[in-house]
Amino acid sequence: MKIDKKQWLYQILFAAITIVLLFPIIFAISNSFKTLEEATNHIWRFIPAAPTLENYRHVFERLPFVRITMNTFLIAFTVTVFKSLTSILAAYAFVFLDFKGKGSLYFVLISTMFIPFTVTMIPNYITVSALGLNDNIWGVALPQLSDALGIFLLRQSMRTVPKSLIEVARMEKIGHARIIRDILLPLVKPAVVSTGIIFFINSWNEYVWPVLILKSKENYTLSLALQMFISSEGGTDFTVAMAVSVTTMIVPLILYMIFQKYIINTFALSGVKG
Amino acid sequence: MKKRKLKEQILATCLILPSLIVFTIFMFWPLARTVYLSFFDWNMIKPVKKFVGFQNYVTLLTDDLTYKVLGNTLLYIAILLVINFVFPYILSFILSFLMRKGKGFYKTAFFLPSVISLVVGSILYVWILNPVTGPIAKILVHFGIVLPIWSKSEGLVIWILSLVTSWKVFGYNFIIVLSGVMGVPQEVIEAAKIDHVSNYRIFTQIILPMSSATGIYVFIITIVQGLQYVFTPIKVVTQGGPNYASSNLIYQTYHEAFYMYRTGVASAFSVLSMVLFVGLLVLEFKYVEKGVYYEN
Amino acid sequence: MKEIVFNQVCKSYDQNQVVKNLNMKVEGGERLILLGPSGCGKSTTLRMIAGLEDITSGDLYLGDKRVNDVESGDRNVSMVFQNYALYPHMTVRQNISYALKVNKFPSDEINSRTSEAIRMLDLTGLEERKPKELSGGQRQRVALARAIVKRADYFLLDEPLSNLDAQLRAYARKELVKIHEQYHQTFVYVTHDQIEAMTVGQKIALMNEGTLQAFDTPQNIYKKPANVFTAKFIGSPPANVVEASYDAGYLYIEGAKMKLPDAWCKVVGSRNRLYFGIRPEDIHLTRAPKDKDYAMKALVRYVENYGNQLGVYFQVKGMEMLAICEDAAPMPGENVYFEPDFDKIHLFDIETTNNLGYPKKLQ
Repeated sequence: MKIDKKQWLYQILFAAITIVLLFPIIFAISNSFKTLEEATNHIWRFIPAAPTLENYRHVFERLPFVRITMNTFLIAFTVTVFKSLTSILAAYAFVFLDFKGKGSLYFVLISTMFIPFTVTMIPNYITVSALGLNDNIWGVALPQLSDALGIFLLRQSMRTVPKSLIEVARMEKIGHARIIRDILLPLVKPAVVSTGIIFFINSWNEYVWPVLILKSKENYTLSLALQMFISSEGGTDFTVAMAVSVTTMIVPLILYMIFQKYIINTFALSGVKG
Repeated sequence: MKKRKLKEQILATCLILPSLIVFTIFMFWPLARTVYLSFFDWNMIKPVKKFVGFQNYVTLLTDDLTYKVLGNTLLYIAILLVINFVFPYILSFILSFLMRKGKGFYKTAFFLPSVISLVVGSILYVWILNPVTGPIAKILVHFGIVLPIWSKSEGLVIWILSLVTSWKVFGYNFIIVLSGVMGVPQEVIEAAKIDHVSNYRIFTQIILPMSSATGIYVFIITIVQGLQYVFTPIKVVTQGGPNYASSNLIYQTYHEAFYMYRTGVASAFSVLSMVLFVGLLVLEFKYVEKGVYYEN
Repeated sequence: MKEIVFNQVCKSYDQNQVVKNLNMKVEGGERLILLGPSGCGKSTTLRMIAGLEDITSGDLYLGDKRVNDVESGDRNVSMVFQNYALYPHMTVRQNISYALKVNKFPSDEINSRTSEAIRMLDLTGLEERKPKELSGGQRQRVALARAIVKRADYFLLDEPLSNLDAQLRAYARKELVKIHEQYHQTFVYVTHDQIEAMTVGQKIALMNEGTLQAFDTPQNIYKKPANVFTAKFIGSPPANVVEASYDAGYLYIEGAKMKLPDAWCKVVGSRNRLYFGIRPEDIHLTRAPKDKDYAMKALVRYVENYGNQLGVYFQVKGMEMLAICEDAAPMPGENVYFEPDFDKIHLFDIETTNNLGYPKKLQ
């Protein structure tokens, strides 16, 4: 009896945290379909009495929205493809090859995960401007083409592949390209997929760097467009702001829903061993 | 060197090279350049930089604002640690060893906000916590409580911005801590329970030491990444205000660089924060990476 | 042709030398067992042949070619790993044929070799299964099949049976010998199990702490152990080896003495300290020895029942030894005589621990 009571307490505690965490998302979705009048008078009503797409229409009218979404997608896609490639190659070398300076090089690369972005911000701004990529989406993508987190996560998962599988292949005269393609990638597919998704989501959500580089509206990404709807005093654009919020978070949310098991397992792996 | 070793060395270099090029251009080189720039008076536009030695550092260290920002930074760290390090630890213990149901569901649910942009998070919280029209204010009004205008309140603003940041960070940290805590063998916990060891003691004397590697890792990312994440809500909601009350080291650097155009002072500021972070890094590798790396 | 020659081969990791000055020649088509306790360097030796470990110094020849700098894939070796190293995402057939395909063998050749291996290792009907759908024994056979389709001259096995249960192991041992008799590769087999070593090996190389201790046929290694380590490692239970001294025709153990036959006295020569070794099954414990001069007084401490035999722990003064008796063992606490079978004793040098040799008539 006593044990059951405790179990209930725990469940209530966890349910409460879940509600706190998920409330903002539900709040945004629900209000984005309300008229401003309904939102103002019935802010706690979760299912709108008279659902409307007016807010979304408004977003599309006020902004070059297709263009902005396309920008966001193009940056995220490019970054994902390149980061995945560079990380897979580097992680393979760190796990399965022997070379001088391996330990220290890995240490140096991984250490950069802990360097605050402000340290590199000014010189990178100068570099990207010098390349003529200021106010250009490729200027946003360029510094992100490789990444310590990717090397770290993929190395963690490649280490779970027995070294003897690779040794057997090398003994059978199979080249490294074939080993990576035929043997390694099929085995670490979940980690590669989830690392890729994480790259995509992170780039999709990226705010600090685009805010420095992108100036004109037609080059904006979603995060920047969203920022225009902010007003800390609360204003008349409330329901429209909710609609932009929903359009910004919908892609990461869908990706997460589909790949959540992979993603969670990959991050869990990152904690277990360093 | 032996021929075979040389071949492997060349191959490995080729595989790492793409990453290394990006790292060199956008990480290592800028790092050095920032240190270099911190000795100059410059505004990023003027064709000549004026060498001023340690003047930028002197300016920084004699400015009361610096100490205010440092104090804010420490307060952010403290709040973030409680919400995103201490709580996840306790909750992980409860979920993995005391609760019988719901592991999968809560993992998925807790992690969910961490895939959402902090700009979205900031906007949502601005509306949710709106002192007049927000849903929270509307409930509190029934109890005669009026929400203060927190974004203008020096005492409150850091707390609220930390909460917004924690909304995103909490689940991510929780997943990592949970995997560390679940790495403690169930039998050890069962043996302790049979011996009537209290849950408090199990947590402090068994779980904490046995998951310490993960613990230290999360401790550090909470500080290092947390401070950077806070940047977004500061930038979106308060721009460091009111009167720098919500600014931290990271935001202040940005502010100096792209509002005040004091490139040298901004660089000095980033060097200062880097020193702080490198200290943490040394801690991390001393305790966490040691004995982990050579396993393979 | 297919021999393997080690010439002063050393292997070290940093300061740690794991293989020391290895000199050994494995004849082509021979079944060699690398035997020894864990950490003795046997697996490292195998991996050096395979090309998976660099050689720190010395030369390794496969056939007449020095292979120190030859890539693993160019050495004409195939290997069976302890964990089998099957590709988990490929079916049995794909596992077996993958390397042939990548190396661009003609497809009818691939098919005939694969089918032959599947038939030979009794994997018919399992071709389309994935490794995780197979039992341990089946996986082990897939690993063997994958290793034989390459028809390599050198067949390397790293503890291939250690993950099988005892019954399967006996069956698999016969299988391995069968494969070897079919293809006559030069066979190098690492194990820590001396039963496997004795049953599969034509030669045994016994290693300890990176040094080759003995290199001989299973027969000789058992009957004429080259040194104290070999005597103690081979045989179950191991041989008794005790410190003894010799003086004027008498052998002393902890103050007890017995006569040593003249032929053995010549072997001992001028030494007065040495190691005395004898296998438990070569000891008689009796109340009435044939000749009291050639026996020592002993006290029985403890008796173990092995089912078909009895193990008797006894002491000669303070020195404990073990004897195996077929039946009618003495009781604990009983005073008996320890009577060795002098045709089967072994004497070793006190310094080098090497075998002193045997009297002429025994050879």
